[in-house]
Amino acid sequence: MKPLDPRLLQRATSARRYVLLTAGLGGLTAAAVILQALLLARVLSPVVLRTADWADVAPLVGWLAAVVAVRAGLVWAQERFAHRSATRATAELREQVLARAVTLGPRWIVAHPGVTTLATRGLDALEPYFVRYLPQLLLAATVTPAALVVVLTHDLIAAATIALTLPLIPVFMVLIGRMTQGYADRRLAAMTRLGTQVLDLLAGLPTLRALGRERGPERQVAELGDAHRKATMGTLRVAFLSGMTLELLTTLSVALVAVGVGFRLVFGDLDLVTGLAVLVLAPEVYLPLRQVGAHFHASADGVAAAEQAFAVLEEPVAEPGKAPAPDLTRTTVRLRDVTVAAPDRAHLAPAGLDLDLAPGEVVALAGANGAGKSTAVAVLLGLLAPDGGQVLLDGPDGPVPLAQVDPAGWWSQIAWVPQRPVIEPGTVREAVERGVPVEDRRLAAAAELTGLDRVVDGLAGGWDQRLGQGGTGLSLGQRQRLALTRALLAPAPLVVLDEPTAHLDAGGEQVVLDAVRRLRDQGRTVLLVAHRTSLLEVADRTVVVTAEALVTP
Amino acid sequence: MSRDPLWRAVRLLDVDARRVAGAVAAGVGGLGSAIALAAVSAWLIARAAQMPEVAVLNLAAVAVRLFGISRGVLRYVERLVSHDVALRGMATLRVRLYERLAAGSPAGLLALRRGDLLARVGADVDAVGDVVVRGLLPMAVAAVLGVGSAVAMGLFLPAAGLTLAACLVLAGVVAPWLARRGARATEREAAAARADLAAVSQSLLDGAGELRVAGRVEPMLAELRAADARLARATDRGAVPAAVAAALAPLATGLAMLGALLVAIPATTSGVLDPVELAVVVLTPLAVFEASAVLPGAAVALLRSREAARRVVELVDGAQPAAAVSPVPVAEPGPDAPPLEAHHLAAGWPDGPALVRGLDLELTPGHSVAVVGPSGVGKTTLLLTLAGLLPPKSGEVLAGGEPPDRLERADAAARVALTTEDAHVFDTTVLENLRVARGDVTVQEAEDACRAVGLDGWLEGLPEGLDTRIGADGAAVSGGERRRLLVARALLAPAPVLLLDEPTEHLDAGGRALLTGLLDGSLAAGRAVLVVTHRLAGLEAAGEVIWLDRTGSVGARGTHTELLEGPRAVPAYRTAWQSEQQEIG
Repeated sequence: MKPLDPRLLQRATSARRYVLLTAGLGGLTAAAVILQALLLARVLSPVVLRTADWADVAPLVGWLAAVVAVRAGLVWAQERFAHRSATRATAELREQVLARAVTLGPRWIVAHPGVTTLATRGLDALEPYFVRYLPQLLLAATVTPAALVVVLTHDLIAAATIALTLPLIPVFMVLIGRMTQGYADRRLAAMTRLGTQVLDLLAGLPTLRALGRERGPERQVAELGDAHRKATMGTLRVAFLSGMTLELLTTLSVALVAVGVGFRLVFGDLDLVTGLAVLVLAPEVYLPLRQVGAHFHASADGVAAAEQAFAVLEEPVAEPGKAPAPDLTRTTVRLRDVTVAAPDRAHLAPAGLDLDLAPGEVVALAGANGAGKSTAVAVLLGLLAPDGGQVLLDGPDGPVPLAQVDPAGWWSQIAWVPQRPVIEPGTVREAVERGVPVEDRRLAAAAELTGLDRVVDGLAGGWDQRLGQGGTGLSLGQRQRLALTRALLAPAPLVVLDEPTAHLDAGGEQVVLDAVRRLRDQGRTVLLVAHRTSLLEVADRTVVVTAEALVTP
Repeated sequence: MSRDPLWRAVRLLDVDARRVAGAVAAGVGGLGSAIALAAVSAWLIARAAQMPEVAVLNLAAVAVRLFGISRGVLRYVERLVSHDVALRGMATLRVRLYERLAAGSPAGLLALRRGDLLARVGADVDAVGDVVVRGLLPMAVAAVLGVGSAVAMGLFLPAAGLTLAACLVLAGVVAPWLARRGARATEREAAAARADLAAVSQSLLDGAGELRVAGRVEPMLAELRAADARLARATDRGAVPAAVAAALAPLATGLAMLGALLVAIPATTSGVLDPVELAVVVLTPLAVFEASAVLPGAAVALLRSREAARRVVELVDGAQPAAAVSPVPVAEPGPDAPPLEAHHLAAGWPDGPALVRGLDLELTPGHSVAVVGPSGVGKTTLLLTLAGLLPPKSGEVLAGGEPPDRLERADAAARVALTTEDAHVFDTTVLENLRVARGDVTVQEAEDACRAVGLDGWLEGLPEGLDTRIGADGAAVSGGERRRLLVARALLAPAPVLLLDEPTEHLDAGGRALLTGLLDGSLAAGRAVLVVTHRLAGLEAAGEVIWLDRTGSVGARGTHTELLEGPRAVPAYRTAWQSEQQEIG
């Protein structure tokens, strides 16, 4: 792990300014630290040697007070503005990660469940990195060498003592780095595992109670906790051991410097001003390095999160097509021999699917569970590149592969009702309109057809009722009614409905059938994914999707 | 004090007082060594400048080296002991939480499921454990050292002790208080912004495909930016007091030094204080503030953990009133008592109205009943009541002659086994998931059950058969497979009565055969089966169909054929049936 990843400065442009500010403050801090030590030595020494009284040293004490004020001011500036770039860098990375994840598609997101945690909480770990670790790193690069140089000009032997022990510290830092890296990774893995297992038991508690089996797993919870403690303590013993060595090294060096200075004072090889200055400065040489070590754990999480983010950002995405999308009212969509390998099982689903979707046609996709109906839809939408076969758009200007078509132009002609429609945070009306205002009359008519009007009547705020994340407050069936309403109102020539009746009862099913008939009357092309025979009846044609087991040698 | 959720949660950690005392002692020893090191070095150098015999300095030289070593070693011990204390506490808290929830009222638990409390419990427990390591222990160490150093300096020169004490209050009390204020100002607004951020992020990831197709990614990213900007503003506001708090640390250290100079130099020149002691009095305070430096962070850690602690305590309290139940002495189900009966039963949530009313029911071995009706009428609530997970609003339920809600859970479940629609598929193997119904299910029984519900093909496709792990919440399992797995689990339960909620939802044509098998006794021979469903296909096989009307009253009951035609026919039932029939035909 690098102490400062250049990619971080590249990706998060706000971080750059901040590193400069911190470096500037670090330089000033170094000057203040040295001044304070020198002034203090010059105040104390003559009084200890009884060669001066308060009146003689008072002006120097005044200067000392000024330096103290400056040091406090520098820390204030650092803390006042430090977080800004941390929050901005986090925000920049968050947006980039989410945008990339969305582009990579649902299947990638399902295969990388950590992305949610990374985007919502993981990247927040960058704050301690920016606010604590990085400033100390920069202080180590300014205060440490500057103080060492000053010691050198005062006392060669003390400087030599420090210079001999100082290089040991980076060596130990590297050792700590190696160990902490492993520690952070393992801890994260162990905690995630433990966390999901305990949460799984808690989430399943109603089920366990329903079957009278809630007694017993508490032992498992205790054992998981104990295992976690032992594993963590094992890694902590190692991680802290190297930290202790570091601390031991620095304190012992300071002690050696002090003892050495003391004995040379006795023999008159050194004057007290020098001795005191060196005594006060010696710990300051080591302090930033020790702080870097202390904030290493916190920064390790931040760096791990940043690396995860970079891994997502460096994930290759297929170049989107450039060709203009043909007009779907005059284009037949043809799936040819489309085959997709299921992510974790030895199946092709769909396997060798052929499908033609002519303008104005209502086609149903049928097939057993897991045959790949929804996957076929994802391929047709251009959200998933098939492992075999292709999608052709056979328009007035001849056939063009979907992969070469500009996605925005293609999608603008499609309304898609997925199995679990997303309800964006906002009001019911906003969720239906999605940024395209609809007249009240049309809205009411569409809502009446889909039964959304009755849903809205039941909401306290009616059309202006705010819906939470994922449309909380709406059942899945109600969300489907909402998404269906949206599809009816959208001007798209192609409508794709994925298992629209899955969460509706018999009466609700009638709604879907009416909606499909209405869409057909409007001259729209409809692709229906159906696992219930009722929907097959309203379709002009039914295409059966089949999966195929992969023969493993 | 007991009102404060933080203290209550910390008490739930049940930390060992001796271990805590050990950690504090090690911490005091470690940081105390650093202070002693500063004091002795100052004395050594000042005394050396007076050029005494070398022997005078030898003891101090040894002490300096000793403190140089003990500082690192004791600090190491402290860190290990304190982390061990916290980790033990967290493990205890998790178990407590589980036990309380397992023993608490079922209704409370079901209500919790609907909130996001359970989802956060993992992080919340960690936060409470963190209180010990980052909050309470450093505070205790700093308090001991602060008082100790001020007293020690006071012994040299009372005024110097007082100055140090005043500066320590500034760094150890005022600064943490300001830091806490800053954090609180941030927290309140940041929490809302963070919730928005999480909501938008989640929507983006859940609906990645849909949002792209709908061209809604850019507007959502704009929402994300807006929420992040709100978060930045909140953080910025909090940084105002926080920056002052941070600046107080070097300021207090500097003031302590200046104050010591101010009182000690005149004392030295007037002969009250020895010149060597002057160096000690002025230089020691520079090391003392290392102990108070962590306190602002500790104060913030306590504040952050308080919110988490509140949620943990809420979770524990929410699961309370199971104790109101007075368990009936466990009696073997009477041979004459029917396995399940209900008289004039009204079912509903404890804090809500009765949803289903006036139900009479008698289930005998081999008998099957299907409860049908419009969605949202309270069919699931009825099932929970019949299973004894909710008390009846009025009327009574008897399982083998005893009210199931007043029996011990294990005993009640031995009489009535319920499989809800949202029953959990655990993050473990297929076999272990089936053993949730009964711990001693053999491999053969598990395979038979899978075959009975039509999962044999699926099982063969799994890489390790019954020993294949299925993902969190059965993610690698399709909706239909999950449903069949739950039915298989229900069949393996030992109870003579099986209650199933929508067992064939999400199933294609095979679902009808499965429902028929459940109802005609071919799958659960000799047992009583009650199925709740909103689809009517397959109900021909039910011994009795109970039709709930929109008000939750029994609209009609009889066999499927009787409800469809004849004198007791129900028009609404016929309409629903015809609409389904039409589709299938």
